[in-house]
Amino acid sequence: MSEKFELSSEQTHQEGQINQDELILQQQRQIQQEISESTPLVGELEAISSLNAEYSSDEVYLQKIKDLASKYNYGYIEKLLSNKDEFKTFYTLAENSKSSLVELGFPQFTVEDFYDTFMEVLKRISDMPTLEDSKRELHQLFNEQGYSDYMVVYLRLLTSGQLQREKDFYSCFIEGDRTVIDFCHQEVEPMYKESDHIHIMAACSAMNTGVRVVYMDRGNNKQVTEHDLPEGSTPYVHLLYRPGHYDILYPN
Amino acid sequence: MAGMSPSERRLQKELMSLMKEPPPGVSVDVDLAEQNLLQWIVHMEGVTGTLYEGESFQLQFKFTNKYPFDSPEVTFIGNNIPVHPHVYSNGHICLSILTDDWSPALSVQSVCLSIVSMLSSCKEKKRPSDNAFYVKTCSKNPKKTKWWYHDDSV
Repeated sequence: MSEKFELSSEQTHQEGQINQDELILQQQRQIQQEISESTPLVGELEAISSLNAEYSSDEVYLQKIKDLASKYNYGYIEKLLSNKDEFKTFYTLAENSKSSLVELGFPQFTVEDFYDTFMEVLKRISDMPTLEDSKRELHQLFNEQGYSDYMVVYLRLLTSGQLQREKDFYSCFIEGDRTVIDFCHQEVEPMYKESDHIHIMAACSAMNTGVRVVYMDRGNNKQVTEHDLPEGSTPYVHLLYRPGHYDILYPN
Repeated sequence: MAGMSPSERRLQKELMSLMKEPPPGVSVDVDLAEQNLLQWIVHMEGVTGTLYEGESFQLQFKFTNKYPFDSPEVTFIGNNIPVHPHVYSNGHICLSILTDDWSPALSVQSVCLSIVSMLSSCKEKKRPSDNAFYVKTCSKNPKKTKWWYHDDSV
């Protein structure tokens, strides 16, 4: 009797050790699943004042929202789609991107899959008869996990390609003794890794565009901080950064 | 290839490529993989001039229908598990691209190449220092282990 008891207590003890890792991973998965089930991949447009409710108890954030509201308003502007020439330039750039990735040593074989889907999406939205239809199609495709994941992978590869092409320049921005290639393998190419300054910078130069990021953090400034990436470029897309998340802003 | 899910299509494509152009010393059991695309056995020969010369190993690849967004589950199986500082005696492999650093742009082929190079660069045949403890307590699925990657040199 006592032997049996000892045996089972040892088992429990061992299970306790087994489960440590599993519990952590399980909880991470659960949180991710809850988030992904309750929020669309790309949400609908909202007025900037909707941020007020989220931060109603935080003075610093409220001040910044006020500042933000005077500059931005969510509106229906999808610049690339409304300018046929610029869209064409972008399309050509995208078309040529696969071969330059392969030249950098990315395996043609897997890159192809993501490239094909990326081009298919561009084609599908540009083939729509009206701008409204294009936007609806874009919104819909980006909300389908199958398409969205493929698009995201391809953008990650383009970003990684750009970092590697100009690795001398970007190596100054990488902390620790990691090479640009290590950094690409660990922080750029895998899915679900957060995009930092350096990712945005490289993604912008890869696509020959500029982004303005508006940082809303808990810093003491009453105004939001703005950064244009790459420095001195004309911002084409405006992003609102809140720790862990980017929203698209549509300027007035 | 009509009627296949994206993950099956991709696996089918990878299988064809691995059949036609396998990396040196690597071969996939095609019959088995064609019976069940989600579970492959890959044979691997120790590279000449390395500590594993003359040995042969078997790797098991398990995929989910979320592949290539989910990494494959890769373990050594059979009666010859390589003695290596990153390979546990139960066949589990401590290799960052199999979990944290997995990218959908990687493939069965690139995983095989990484494992070949991991074995080939080994200077001393020994088990990981925590082998006894890990093998006793770990989950059957190595992807359920939260790995610490510390040493890239072997």
